[in-house]
Amino acid sequence: MMLSAVCLGGVTKAHPHVFVDARTGFVFGSDRQLEAIKISWLYDEFTTLVLFETLELDLDQDGQLNDSDRIKILEGETNWPQDYKGDIYLEVLGQDYPLGRPKTAAVKLDANQIEVTFDLPLSKPTEVDSSPILLRLYDPFFYFAYTIVSVEASPDLPEDCEAQIVHFDPTAAESVLQDKLAALGREDRPEIENVGRLFSDEVQLTCG
Amino acid sequence: MWLKFSVIVLGMWAIGAAAWGIVPWFEIQRWAVGEQRTFQNVMASALRSIQAGNSQAAWTLCSATAAYGFFHALGPGHGKVLIGGASLASGATLIRLSTITFLSSLAQAATAIILVGGFYFILQIGSADLTDLTETWLAPASYLTIAAIGAVLIFRGARSWHQMSQVKQATHGCCGHAHGPSVNDVATLTSTRDAVALIASIAVRPCTGALFVLVISARFDAFAVGCLAVVTMGLGTAFFNQMVATSGVAARWLIGLGARNHKGMQAISATLHLTVGFMIIALSVGMLLP
Repeated sequence: MMLSAVCLGGVTKAHPHVFVDARTGFVFGSDRQLEAIKISWLYDEFTTLVLFETLELDLDQDGQLNDSDRIKILEGETNWPQDYKGDIYLEVLGQDYPLGRPKTAAVKLDANQIEVTFDLPLSKPTEVDSSPILLRLYDPFFYFAYTIVSVEASPDLPEDCEAQIVHFDPTAAESVLQDKLAALGREDRPEIENVGRLFSDEVQLTCG
Repeated sequence: MWLKFSVIVLGMWAIGAAAWGIVPWFEIQRWAVGEQRTFQNVMASALRSIQAGNSQAAWTLCSATAAYGFFHALGPGHGKVLIGGASLASGATLIRLSTITFLSSLAQAATAIILVGGFYFILQIGSADLTDLTETWLAPASYLTIAAIGAVLIFRGARSWHQMSQVKQATHGCCGHAHGPSVNDVATLTSTRDAVALIASIAVRPCTGALFVLVISARFDAFAVGCLAVVTMGLGTAFFNQMVATSGVAARWLIGLGARNHKGMQAISATLHLTVGFMIIALSVGMLLP
């Protein structure tokens, strides 16, 4: 019963309240190594209102963000607690690649939506070759629902490199999930991988 | 006895698995999430409109929250699990279940209004702390209560099976005029006490969306409109749960067709209690886990 509780729990927590349209990009160094990821989170209009309320923004009620508003937003958005990774996952050669903390963060209000942008450096720059590097944005609890809407063509992206979005495919995700659940039944100790990643869009970066 | 039990359980799982396989859950989920996003944005613009002094926007807000409540309920949630399970296992009529469904959604809306009204206005507690309070205390409290209801169902189902086997032994040994326990012995949710427990377990945890609508409308000096919008949100949720309850009653009726007599019906009811009880516990424990 505990097993089914764990399985069902993972799947059934799906209940998003916050919708984020994300834009992504890649920053390369002069030595053709991937150094950082560019991230932009555009929050939905309702979440923007919630942020205005919870952070007590726009106290002068002019409908614009001033400096103290921006400081409050960026504090919450980019000064992450130790165990929070920004719902940003980079996979290199099948392994989770460690990332640093947000840099050069900025925030703006556009058409009643708050947009936060920042760069997220890799813990150590890495080579990119023909085996794809995968970038995924997801909240394991699906309270935040991310949609990757674009990959920015950064000027320093080497010519032979290509980044493309692969949108989440429900049929494929479902069959992978079923295989996983079926495999669980055969093993004594269940090791559940993060279900959230099955339901996320991803960006594939390849070079050469 | 065990053979009969296994046959009934296997039959129910087969029906459940078939339903699971036929319905494209993932597509439905995705569609529901998309709709929820749309109505969430309509809610935001209606709230801004109200702030700007457009009182007509109150109607837009109420329609949007009703739709939001409906589509949000399509996602996984604690109310549905319990309503669905109860309608499957209980002996309650559809009218009774409908009443309970509507009351539980309205009570859930009332909890949100009381929480925001009390904590936000009187104690001046911010909305961030309010959602923390909900997620840290009220959500687990709700799941624990729901798990407890699951346990009660299991207990009643097991007791009924036990009684049935005892009656069997008694009739063997004696002259056969022993009366079996009536179906009522295991029919859940026919008492007011059961109904109140069910409504309370759902209502103790308000929806975060409802809390946000209330605090934003309070900030825009339109708390009364916010309250109305949260009530229509509850009605939207109730409308969906109503569909769940109806399917549950229909499924119960279908399963009941297999029973040839009073005793068969009792065995099925007892088995439904056990199965549903375990399902409810499994799901609520799953929700409780980090």
